[in-house]
Amino acid sequence: MREQQGRFEELVLPHLDAAYRLARLLLKRDEDAQDVVQDAYIKALKGFERFRGGDARAWILMIVRNTAFTWLKKHYADRNVVPFDEAVHQPSTEESLSESAYEERSRQLREALARLPVEFREILVLRDVEGWSYKELASALHLPLGTVMSRLNRARLHLREEIAKVQPRES
Amino acid sequence: MKCEEVHHFIDTYLDGELDFARRVELEEHLAVCPSCRSLLEERQAFRAFFVAAVQEYKAPPQLEAKVLAAMRRVPTKEKFSLWRQPWIYATAVVVMSVCLALKILFPDAEKEFSRQAVLRHSSSLSTSHFVDVASPNPVIVKPWLTARLDFAPPLVGSPASGYSLVGGRVDVIKNRSVATLVYKHDQDVVSLFCWPPDKEHLSTSERSLDGYRVSTWSNAQCNYVLVSKLSNSALHDFMDSFRVRIQSGAYF
Repeated sequence: MREQQGRFEELVLPHLDAAYRLARLLLKRDEDAQDVVQDAYIKALKGFERFRGGDARAWILMIVRNTAFTWLKKHYADRNVVPFDEAVHQPSTEESLSESAYEERSRQLREALARLPVEFREILVLRDVEGWSYKELASALHLPLGTVMSRLNRARLHLREEIAKVQPRES
Repeated sequence: MKCEEVHHFIDTYLDGELDFARRVELEEHLAVCPSCRSLLEERQAFRAFFVAAVQEYKAPPQLEAKVLAAMRRVPTKEKFSLWRQPWIYATAVVVMSVCLALKILFPDAEKEFSRQAVLRHSSSLSTSHFVDVASPNPVIVKPWLTARLDFAPPLVGSPASGYSLVGGRVDVIKNRSVATLVYKHDQDVVSLFCWPPDKEHLSTSERSLDGYRVSTWSNAQCNYVLVSKLSNSALHDFMDSFRVRIQSGAYF
C-alpha cells in the first residue's frame, strides 16, 4: 500500500497549485482553501483505488471542487456571503505600499472576481485557466451544454461589469 | 456575418468551440472589419490578463508539507475485505448446502402441525362437534382420552380465569393421534392439542392461519398447539396461566 501512496504522490501532488487556486477562488480565504485542499487530497488518496487512470489533474480538481462545496454548505448558508481576503502569497517585500499599475489592475481583477457568485467563479476558472472544453464542463458540473454556454456568457459579462466599476474603459 | 453576431460569438470563438461554418464566417468578417478585430484583441488580452491574475494564487510553501503529512497519516493497511478472502466462498457453499439439506430432511414441521390443527379446530366448529367426551371435570375426561391414546395427556381443568373445560376429543394430526382439550371463554372456543414429543420437540411459534391465531410450544412432557380466535393479549394470558399450572403441577 506504500506503493500506492507513492504512485499517488507522483501523479497528484504536482497539481497542488491548481488545486489550491481552485479552492482559493471558491472559498475566498487562504486558510479555508488550505484546509479544503488537505481534506481533498486525503479523500483522493483514500479513493485512489477507484481512479482508473486518465486525467489526474481533472480528477483531483473535481475532488477539490466537491470538497469545497461541501465545506461551503457546512460553513455558510448563503454561499455568496463569504468574506474575501485578498492576500496573495508573494515575498513580503512586495506586499506593501508601492504597487505597480499592473499589480493594481491584477488585484482589482481578483477582487472583482471575488464579488461574483460562486458558480460564475467556478466556471470561469475551469474554462479559462484550466482550459476545459464545454463538454468537459457539462459533464463535470452536471449541466446541459446550453447552460454551460449561457453561464459562461453571463459570468464574463458580470466580470466585465464588475471591473468597469473600478477600471473605467479607456477606449 | 454582421458585427452584432461577431460580438455574440467572439468568446465562443476564442474558446475554440465555434462550429466550422460560423468560424469561417467570423474570420472572413474579421479580415475586413477593424473594429471587430480590435474587439478580438481586447478580449484576447483580457483573457491573458485574467489567467495571469488568477495564477497569482499559488499554494503557500507550507501547504505541500502539510498535505504530505496528512496523507502519511492515512492508514496504509489495505482494508480487510471479507469478500476478498477466497475461503469465504467455499464456506458459503457448504453452509448453504447444509441448510438446504436440513430444509429437505426437516421441513417446517411446526407449520404443518399448525395447519392441520386449524383444520381440525374449524371442522369442530362447523360441525358443532366440539368434543367426543363432554365434561368440565378432568377426572372424567382424562381416563377417557388415555384409553383411546397411547399416552396420558396432562389435564388442566381451569387454565386461566374465565376459561372452563368443555371436554376432550381425539384428533389425528400428521398421522399422529393427539389429545384435544376444548375450553370455552364467553363466545371463544379454544382447542389445545397435545401429544408426547416422540421424535422431536415442536418449536415455539405464533402465526395466523385462516383467521385463527395458532401458537405452538413444547415442554418435556408434551408438544402443544393452541388454536383460537383470541386476541393477542388474551392469548398470551391464557398461555402464561396454562404453563404456570403445568409447571406447578396443578393439573390432573
